[in-house]
Amino acid sequence: MAVSRYTKMAYKDADELIFGRAQHPVSYGFGIKVGAGRVIPEINYAPRPGTERDVEKFRREYVDYICKDALDRAVTAGMPDLQMETEWVSQMNQKKLAVPVVAGQTEICEKYHEEYGINTAMRQTIPDQREADQGLRPGMDKERNYPEKLIECAEMACENGAHVFSVESMGGKELADHAVTQGDVVAFLFGVGYLGSIDMTYIWQQFVDICKKNKVTPGGDTNCSGANTSMFMAGGFLDNDVQRTFSAITRAIASARTLCAWECGATGPDKDCGYEGPICKAVAGKPTSQEGKNCQCAHCDLQGNLMASTCDLWSNESVEYHPEFGGSSVACWLGSLGYEVALMNTSIQLGQDKTLRDLYMYTDRIRGPEAYILAYDHAFMIGKAIADNGNNLYLRSKAAGETAAKIILDGYNSKELPLTKKQLEVLQDCQKQMAALPDDEAKFVEYCTKLYKDVPAFNIKNYGL
Amino acid sequence: MLSSKGVDFSGILRRYDVDQQVAATPQEMAKEMLPHDPVFKKVAEEVLYMRFKTVAPVVNEALKEKKPLDVINEGLVAGMEIVAKLYAEHVYYLPEIMMAAKTMEIGIALAEKKLEGGKMKAKATVIMHAAEGDPHDIGKNIAAIMTKAAGYDVIDMGRDVPVEDVVAKTMEVKPLFVSGTALMTTTMSAFPRIAAGFMAKGLSIPFMGCGGAVNREYANSYDLGIYSDKAAQTPPIADKILAGYDWKKVREEWDNIIRGE
Repeated sequence: MAVSRYTKMAYKDADELIFGRAQHPVSYGFGIKVGAGRVIPEINYAPRPGTERDVEKFRREYVDYICKDALDRAVTAGMPDLQMETEWVSQMNQKKLAVPVVAGQTEICEKYHEEYGINTAMRQTIPDQREADQGLRPGMDKERNYPEKLIECAEMACENGAHVFSVESMGGKELADHAVTQGDVVAFLFGVGYLGSIDMTYIWQQFVDICKKNKVTPGGDTNCSGANTSMFMAGGFLDNDVQRTFSAITRAIASARTLCAWECGATGPDKDCGYEGPICKAVAGKPTSQEGKNCQCAHCDLQGNLMASTCDLWSNESVEYHPEFGGSSVACWLGSLGYEVALMNTSIQLGQDKTLRDLYMYTDRIRGPEAYILAYDHAFMIGKAIADNGNNLYLRSKAAGETAAKIILDGYNSKELPLTKKQLEVLQDCQKQMAALPDDEAKFVEYCTKLYKDVPAFNIKNYGL
Repeated sequence: MLSSKGVDFSGILRRYDVDQQVAATPQEMAKEMLPHDPVFKKVAEEVLYMRFKTVAPVVNEALKEKKPLDVINEGLVAGMEIVAKLYAEHVYYLPEIMMAAKTMEIGIALAEKKLEGGKMKAKATVIMHAAEGDPHDIGKNIAAIMTKAAGYDVIDMGRDVPVEDVVAKTMEVKPLFVSGTALMTTTMSAFPRIAAGFMAKGLSIPFMGCGGAVNREYANSYDLGIYSDKAAQTPPIADKILAGYDWKKVREEWDNIIRGE
C-alpha cells in the first residue's frame, strides 16, 4: 500500500471541527456509519481474571455475557447504534482463543441487528507484544516470534469477522519510557515522533493490505504506550510524577505518529484512547473515537468534557466485567455513554451542536495544559504545523511539539491558562531543548542515536535504520 | 466559538495544583536538612541537585579524608533522603528522583571501590518482574529505582516473565519479597499461581501485586499476596517486611504503612 503523507489540512477553519461529522465518513458492520452526522457509543471491556484458562469459558465471557449484556442494554435504553471493541488480551495470540471470540461477537451483532434493527459493529484491536530488546521486525525475535505473531493476529481478526481493525502499536516505547521518567522531550521526539512513525508506517502498510483482502475497515492506531503513559503519570492535581506541560507536548508529538496509519490507507475511526484524535481529525478529516467523562471506570483525566467536542465515536476506554447495582459493569457504562451520545445527537438535530461543542470545550479548556492544546482551535493550529512539514517525519513531530509549547506559553502570558512555577519552568526547558535541535533529519538521527545508545532495549535496527 | 469573556471559572473548576504550589525553592527547603559536616554536605548536594556529571570528582575528593561507608551513608544516602522528602512535598517530581538516584549510584560505585569487601551491604534482596504476557513495565522500572535508592538490591527479571521462572528464581535467591506488575486482567491471574508456586516449594515470601489492572482486593485475595498502589509505596513496605512483618501483618497494617506510620 502506497503511503501518502498529509501536507494540507482537511478543514479550512477550526470552526468546522465538530463531533458527529467528519469529512470522510466510514460505513461498516451492520448499518454503522461513523462521522456521517451522528455520534455512536463504543463500549470496551476486559474479561474477568481466570477466564482465559478455558477456551469455552473465555468465549462465553466475551460473547454470551459481555456482548449480550451490552446489546441488551442498548436495546433496553433505545440506542440506535452500538459499536463494541475487543482489545485482545495477550492470550488471544492463540487461534483457539481468538477465533471463537471474534466469530461469536460478529454473529451476535448480526443477530441483534436482524432482530431489533439496531446498527451494530465490532472493532477488533490486536495486541502488539513486540519487545524492543528482542526485535520489532520479523526474523529478529527468535525466542517468541512476536513480530510474526503481530501479523498473524491481524489475519486472525480480519479473516474471522472483524468489522473495524485496530492496534495499539508499541514502536518507540523504549525511548518513550525513558523520556517520561527522565523528563526528556528530545527522547520522546526521537522515539515516538520519529522512530515510532517509521514503525507505524512499516506495520500499517501490511495491516491495510490484510484488511483490504478481507474487506475489513482499517481503523487506526494510538500512542497509548507513550503519550497516555505521560498523561497518566502527570495525573490530576494530587499527583506529582510528571509535569502536565511536558505531558501536553508529548501529546502533540504523538499526533504526528498516530497519523501514519491513515497515511498508509487506514480510513478511521482511530482508537478511543488516542487523546491526540482532535489534532489528527483536523489534519485528515477522518473520523475519530474518543473518551473522557464517561471513562471514569478506567481513569480520570483533566479533559473529560472537552474530548467530546470533536469525537465521532464516544467510548468508556475499558471496564472489567463485574456486577453493579444497575446490571453488569458493561451495561452500566454503556448506559452512561448512550445518554451522553443522545445529548450530542439531539444537539445536532436541533442545530445546537456548535453550542454544545463549545460548552464541552470551555468546561475543561483551562483545567490543564493538555486540555488547552486539545481544544479544537489549538488542535487545528498543531495540525497545521504538522501538515506544513508533512513529508518529513522528524520536522513535523518537532513542529507539533514546538507549536504546542508556544500555545501553552501564549495562554499563560495572556493570563488565560494558569501554570505552576514548575510547569512553566519545564515548559521553557522543553522549548529550549527542541529549539537547539538541528533542522537536518540525518544530523538529528545521528545525534540522538549516540545520545540514547545506553537506553535499555534501544536498537536502531528495529526501525530499519 | 462562543465567547468566554466575563465567565467566572472559579465556580467551575479549581486549579488546586496552582493554588497549593509550594512557594519555597528546593534550596530553601533543603537548607535545614543537609548534613552539617562540610564534606558530607558537598557530597549530599551533588545528589540533591542531580549533578551526575560532577559527582565523581566530589566523591573522590571526599574519599581522601572520609571513610567510604561514611561518604555513602552520610553524604550520598543523606542527599537521596532529602530528595525523597522534596518528592513527598511536591517540590521534586519523578525525573528528579530518577536523576538523583542515578547520581547516587555513580557515587556509591566509586566509594565501593575503596570499601573493604568491595560492595556496600544492601538491606536485603528483592525480585521484581512484569507478568507473563504483559509488556508494560514502566511502573516496575520506577519501583525498582526507588527501591534500589532505598538501599535494597533489586533483581529485575524484566517483562513477560513466565510463572515458573519467577518461582525458580525465588527458590534460588530467597528474596525479602517478590513483586509482579500487570496492566491486564488476564495477565494478573499469574499472581495467585506464583504465590501457589511459592507455597508448594515451602516458601512463605510475600508476593506484591502491582500495576494498573491490579487492586488491593485482588492482591489480597490469595495467600502471600500483598499490594502496592504506587511505586513510591514499595520502599516503606519493604522496610516493614525487613523489620519482621509477614504478609498477613503487611495487609493488616497497610493503611498505616503507606501513611508512613
